Amino acid sequence: MNKVLSLHDAVERHVPDGVGLLAVGGMHLHNNPMALVREIVRQRRRIRRLLTSPCGAFNADLLIAGGLVEEIATSYVGFEHLGLAPAFRRSVEDGSLRVLECDEAYITHGLNAGAGGLPFAPLPAGLEVSDVWKANPESFRLVEDPFTGAQVLAGAPLRPDVALVHASEADIAGNAVLGGAHFVDRVMAMAARTVVLQVERVVPTEAISRHPVGTTIPGFLVHAVVEVPGGCHPTASHGHYRVDEDHLRRYLALAGGAEGPRAYVDQYVRGSSEADYLEAQHATAAGEALQ
Amino acid sequence: MSRTDGRTNGGSPAGPTIGELMAVELARRLRDDDVAVMGTASALPQIACRLAKETHAPDLWFVAGGTCGVNPHLAPAVPSCCDEDLLRADTAVPLSDVVLLEGRGDVFTVFFSGGLQIDAHGNCNLVSVGDRTRPSLRGPGTVGLPFLARVGRVLIYTMAHNPRTFVERVDFLGGPGFLDGPASWAAAGLTGGGPAAVVTPLCTLGFDPQTLRMRLETVHPGVTVQQVVEATGFELALPEVVPATTPPTDEQIAILRSIDSGGLLRGR
Repeated sequence: MNKVLSLHDAVERHVPDGVGLLAVGGMHLHNNPMALVREIVRQRRRIRRLLTSPCGAFNADLLIAGGLVEEIATSYVGFEHLGLAPAFRRSVEDGSLRVLECDEAYITHGLNAGAGGLPFAPLPAGLEVSDVWKANPESFRLVEDPFTGAQVLAGAPLRPDVALVHASEADIAGNAVLGGAHFVDRVMAMAARTVVLQVERVVPTEAISRHPVGTTIPGFLVHAVVEVPGGCHPTASHGHYRVDEDHLRRYLALAGGAEGPRAYVDQYVRGSSEADYLEAQHATAAGEALQ
Repeated sequence: MSRTDGRTNGGSPAGPTIGELMAVELARRLRDDDVAVMGTASALPQIACRLAKETHAPDLWFVAGGTCGVNPHLAPAVPSCCDEDLLRADTAVPLSDVVLLEGRGDVFTVFFSGGLQIDAHGNCNLVSVGDRTRPSLRGPGTVGLPFLARVGRVLIYTMAHNPRTFVERVDFLGGPGFLDGPASWAAAGLTGGGPAAVVTPLCTLGFDPQTLRMRLETVHPGVTVQQVVEATGFELALPEVVPATTPPTDEQIAILRSIDSGGLLRGR
């Protein structure tokens, strides 16, 4: 079955307006499926709840900047060594974005619970001394361990309605190779009801089946494959290109101005097709290389 | 946190920067039988681990969380914990497996931590300043810091030693230190050993074994005790004599600069 769709059609068909729980893959400024994120912003798909990997970055901040996110379940949204995430920070500080406070253990084990149909994820002893679960009673409960009688922390399973995940390459059936670090992208794909893959290139099934063990997302989990070479820009795509820190610094500068992050969204996302955006970035990079 | 201001000790252009001195201070606290793990913006502890491996602790293991490269080769060190360069390593483990093993509690013996706020008992906060629902400053989030409760030794580092960062009590407890002190620490019955040291651009701190409050250990060259006291937003335990931090040796500096060939710790 051929699951390859255009960027426009993949979002139109698989990301409904008002999607209940949308998970976005990649970690820090690496392997963020930015072409899919930008297309969601262009099509103005509202997101009732956004879930990040243990470290969300530009993927989450751009959706928030686009005015689309009602709530976010996350353990981190930031730009690592480049600074805080401006849209996330501003929206939480002014009260317009509700945060379901999570930690890395809950996001990982909660997704595993979602993937495995486990009723909840029991969490290691000691995590209950942090304030995380107290700040998020919807996702966490203290329960009795049926074996020891001890009070242990449990997290609700995480079952994204849709997961957006980047892979280096896939065939038309959605069998996918992650180019570098896995982060929690595999787990996210296993837990989600619908998986939309963004890839650098679609390759023949013969090329994939030469390395079945390295093909870590099986096509039966995948609903759509979108080929966008360069589509993680300005984040890195492992095996293909690095973080465009200059571009991200422009975003941070624009977002810090009077108009806030919306200025960037209007100029670079809603004011531009994906093809024009990528061509302009390619031209900018080529220009900088010549200087 | 990974870039430093390039300020040098003692004025010699070839001398160690503050970042390099901090890397040496962290390295000195790592042992040959340790398995260390670190996360976001962790170039400094990665460099410290590599330095320790190449000097006194050749059998140390360290995992660069994010990519989860095991004993990443660095040279050059990179500012992001998710950079694919960290997969130039002895091996790599999926992050979900590292999270699983962090829960086991007896695998990782050292965890590096930091915070927007670090308090007198070594608790760390990366979430928010003020009320969490309407904060005066929203930080990025707590990532894996709740695991500090399960780890052998916690090494805290920060590039910001000022009264806004060093507070009496964190506004949000994300990374547990010694909680509210001896009584609450004992009552919690945690398997972890708590914070072992705090390394800042001004000094290195430990913890008073009776009160479990932060205590000044050494001041870095050119820094006075009074400067540290003024930069700290709580009452710091002060020993009668506060020695200067031992400067790095020429060998340590040479190794550091081969690991950090891009100069992250020299402000490049």
